[in-house]
Amino acid sequence: MLSILLVDDDREFTDVASHIIDFLGHTVSVAANLEEATEWLQHNNFDHILLDFMLPDGSGIHLMDRVQQLFPVPKVTFITGHPSVKSIIAELCGPKVDYLLKPIQREALEQVLSPGKAKIKKAAANQVKKHFDCLIGESEPMQQLYTMIERVAASNANVMLMGESGVGKEVVASAIHTASKTAGPLVATNCGGLSKELIGSELFGHEKGAFTGAVAQKAGVFERAQGGTLFLDEVTEMPLDMQPNLLRVLETKKIIRVGGSKEIAVDCRVVSATNRSMQNIAEQNILREDIYFRLAVFPIEIPPLRERSEDIPLLAKAFLASLNEENNTDYHLTDAQLQRLASFDWPGNVRELRHTIHRAYIMSDPAKKEIELPVSFASPFSAVKKEQTGLTPGKTIEEVEKELIYLTLKKVNGNKTLAADMLGVSVKTLYNRLNAYGGLGEFS
Amino acid sequence: MADITPEKLAQQIHDIRKPLNRISMQAELIKLVLENNLPPEKAIEAVDKILQSCQDCSHLLQSLLDTSP
Repeated sequence: MLSILLVDDDREFTDVASHIIDFLGHTVSVAANLEEATEWLQHNNFDHILLDFMLPDGSGIHLMDRVQQLFPVPKVTFITGHPSVKSIIAELCGPKVDYLLKPIQREALEQVLSPGKAKIKKAAANQVKKHFDCLIGESEPMQQLYTMIERVAASNANVMLMGESGVGKEVVASAIHTASKTAGPLVATNCGGLSKELIGSELFGHEKGAFTGAVAQKAGVFERAQGGTLFLDEVTEMPLDMQPNLLRVLETKKIIRVGGSKEIAVDCRVVSATNRSMQNIAEQNILREDIYFRLAVFPIEIPPLRERSEDIPLLAKAFLASLNEENNTDYHLTDAQLQRLASFDWPGNVRELRHTIHRAYIMSDPAKKEIELPVSFASPFSAVKKEQTGLTPGKTIEEVEKELIYLTLKKVNGNKTLAADMLGVSVKTLYNRLNAYGGLGEFS
Repeated sequence: MADITPEKLAQQIHDIRKPLNRISMQAELIKLVLENNLPPEKAIEAVDKILQSCQDCSHLLQSLLDTSP
């Protein structure tokens, strides 16, 4: 409970504000001008003063001299109708002073009156440090990533993010956007999810009547990201014949809406993402070379989770903390559990880790404090993927070779001489290969 | 609006914010009353005051128009 002095000349406002503050559990005294306020301050102690900026007998600032001489110095919140007053107040009165903007809402009022509470809650939720408000991890590969994000944010270069599925390409895109401190918004679109027909309209917009169903004019993502960042996810899944249009926009920084004739200037940083490797992109002719160099002025490789396993406990704790906060629970991870999580190799990366924590959270016994991790982390999805054998485009020769060797060994029940015979290599070569794959595994 | 000085305009805008601020606070009071099942008379009183403030706001906006040529 606080004792509050409300200084404002608007009688109706002070009446209703008193009611509300009273309801919030504080006691209120009201002054209509500086003279009355000074009188109150002479005979009473207040924890908090809510002070109007413009009063009939002077500015609220004049009361500040008096307030500073009090002991203890009460907290002061200026009530003002004008946002620009904020900087003046900060200059004149220092950090102990807050401000409320008219028209006042209850939430803002509550926050001003109980900043201590809000701070504690925030501190608990932010135990894990978030870089650029969204990235978690202190490992060496992540530190390198942070440096790269900072460098590229200072430029206006287009960025291409590469990394396995689930490493958090969209999160890195938003980190780049945050670090760039641009005025415009972050607009995201998935090039893989759009049909050939729609992709032009999605990227560049269309005029009314451009095609059947175009009942109204629509701005494309390039226009909507004006002055900000455009995130093109799965850019390598864009049909080849759409790519010249994209190239023209990247080169001229101008778009023409579908069915339109007017050129519209666009100005945004393009952050694109793909889960294919650079080599794969080049070899399989997925992106035209000229487009690749326009998009990947600054390529960033995001490390897979298994290469930064020291970050796994941090991430797991952060995911659990946000679930706890969302549902008002208080589950913990034990050190042993964190270790188990850290030793798994997470083929689905951060996304898979988050799902595992979420699943475990749902499965946990409400009577216990500890979360219940599943016996095995391998999801059916990743298991199916692992067992998928045979020739599919996108696999390296080494992968196929390894698969064939293991398959052959399985067939002959681990007999290496037989297997080498079937494979048409010497036993020595077979052993060399198996050693290169990290030991003999189940066939030793 | 050519002969209105920026200071005068700022003053008028400040005056218009006053009823807006009253409306905002009265609305918050109504919310409190409804959320906590308090006697409805309080809410009705607040609604009347909101309606009055809306009128005030409208008059002030009109006068802003009248002072300009």
